[in-house]
Amino acid sequence: MDRRKFIQQTALLSIGGLLLPSALLSSCRPDTLFEDTSFQGKVIIIGAGAAGLYAGYILKSKGIDFQILEAAPNYGGRTGKITGFANFPIDTGAQWMHGKNSIVSDIVEQSDTQITLDDSSEKYWFNNQIVSSLPRDINEIFEEEENVPDVSFADFAVQNGYGDEYKNIVEAIAGDSGADASNISAYWKIMEEENWSAGDDDFKFEETFFDFIEKQIAIHVQDQIQLNTAIKQIDYSGSTITVTDNNSNVYTADKVIITVPITILKSGDIEFVPALPTEKTTAFSKIGMDAGMKVFLKFNTKFFDENIFGGNICASYSDDSIGKVQDDNILLAFIMGQQAEYLTSLGSDSAITNALLQELDTMYNGQATASFVASHVQNWTTNPFVRGAYSFSTVGMGDARKVASETVAKKLYFAGEAMNINGHHQTVHGAIETGYREVINLITDVRK
Amino acid sequence: MRALFLLLFLFPFLDTQAQEIEADLSYKYMFASNWDKAIQTYNFSRPFLTEKQPLFMHGMNGSVSYIFKSENKFKQGINASYSHFSSYAENVNFVNQYNLHFFNVGYVLRHESTGSLKGLCTDFILSASSSALFRNVNEEPFIYDEVRSIAFGIGADLSIKTSYSFNLKNNIRLSPFIQIGYTPYLYSPNTEAVINQTTGLTTPDFTGVFTSQIGVKVRVR
Repeated sequence: MDRRKFIQQTALLSIGGLLLPSALLSSCRPDTLFEDTSFQGKVIIIGAGAAGLYAGYILKSKGIDFQILEAAPNYGGRTGKITGFANFPIDTGAQWMHGKNSIVSDIVEQSDTQITLDDSSEKYWFNNQIVSSLPRDINEIFEEEENVPDVSFADFAVQNGYGDEYKNIVEAIAGDSGADASNISAYWKIMEEENWSAGDDDFKFEETFFDFIEKQIAIHVQDQIQLNTAIKQIDYSGSTITVTDNNSNVYTADKVIITVPITILKSGDIEFVPALPTEKTTAFSKIGMDAGMKVFLKFNTKFFDENIFGGNICASYSDDSIGKVQDDNILLAFIMGQQAEYLTSLGSDSAITNALLQELDTMYNGQATASFVASHVQNWTTNPFVRGAYSFSTVGMGDARKVASETVAKKLYFAGEAMNINGHHQTVHGAIETGYREVINLITDVRK
Repeated sequence: MRALFLLLFLFPFLDTQAQEIEADLSYKYMFASNWDKAIQTYNFSRPFLTEKQPLFMHGMNGSVSYIFKSENKFKQGINASYSHFSSYAENVNFVNQYNLHFFNVGYVLRHESTGSLKGLCTDFILSASSSALFRNVNEEPFIYDEVRSIAFGIGADLSIKTSYSFNLKNNIRLSPFIQIGYTPYLYSPNTEAVINQTTGLTTPDFTGVFTSQIGVKVRVR
């Protein structure tokens, strides 16, 4: 072989050797997961909140048969709205889009949904007066990342020298995480939110979060939702799973995605046959979810500040008109934990309203009662299908969320905000992430 | 980038001391399994986007090398390279683009064949590899919390480059080449957050990167 021929052949072999594997590799690199699912079975989704609706939306996009069973008379889970109370629609549940780097933000952008940055200012009820800033910045101790012990927010504040005068400020900080300050862990909150990647800015919807969920997600799966269907038993002992509702109707499926709130899983309202592994039920019990309610107070004058933290009856008040096109004078009382339990114990909406007005009168020299028009109480604690606000990290939590979210017998899949293990629990986008994550897990199991 | 520009600026001056100075341009094919998975998850989880986001696959690469004088048939040198990959998908109201940049600086061990194979040259390149991934939405940098969405990466790359030289003029040679490279571990913890807007949900914080290139280099003696 002469030199010229050798070089030619070497060049051809080299180029072929380079391009052929590249071309072959390209052809087996699809741009999405599971281009062909080949799953002919049926999936039942229990719960039509954000996670359940989104799981259904993904299943539909992959051509998989599914049905969504919802206990409540409406879908949307812990989102909701009322109209007519104010000249703008009111979010009775989830209200803020937390961070802009999330799948919810992508849908907002793509659908041209109108949102507004909530950059409202904060004031505090501190030592019986409204102040613009606190003598010591208490927020910073809950943002530390080192040497944080596994103790409650309340204990951690005391350990850092914050006295009783900061008690309700700490409640407001804990309440933002849906918890009572004596229940949420300073350590595990930081550990669990280590992977938070959505950003810190909060946004409000010009309409409501519920409208967004309805128009952008539920619309794709509405015909597959069966409302007023509370599940009492899931029997996964056989090759086909049987799901029985409270009216003894039986549904069958090959896979079940369970998206109910953690309170429902903890309560034992749904019987699993066979019983779920002990480590799983133990993990459920370690995930916190405290009482929570939202009370909307309508006034004929705007005497209140944009945010007031530190009340003894309600640790967190905020002007609900911020981010809305119209501006009726609506003050939102955002009440969590023991404060929500106390107000619930008063027994009636009017008693709850009066207690709040009394506190606001103290803060604003009687202006609350004088200009009060109406109230709307949304008590998520007494909602039998929710029973609380949203999940939080308890003292001694460990990897409970990870264990709780694990698949059982390749048949039962667990989604919902409480099952988010990448730091986005407590949020709608976190719930959505678990919805599509469990569809990925389901299809992966089918293909094995 | 600054180092690359500096090297290009010094190109004519370096020539007085060097055995060879060369610059090349090539098409680059890339396979990074975990980045594939991040984009595949992004596409899977967003059925509302009809136009799917392409994987990082096809890109361009430019590099410069400085080979030191030596009488030995193995020569040594340094190399700097830059590559760019893009993933662009246009949907209604939502034009999403990821731009991925690599900058490598490395050591070159060169073997030049003699005799009947004269002109054939093989480089073994060991580089420090760095990457930067940016996201644009609707032709604007994607910014949240007043900071641009970005993911940096760092790793080590081993490449083999084979070329054959044709003389153009005195001291100037044109060399078609092929190159394959492998970065076993590119640590880039924020990549999933930029692409799929999650962390730790579907992909680990690193990836292996396989590349192959075909291009032409100009060598100046």
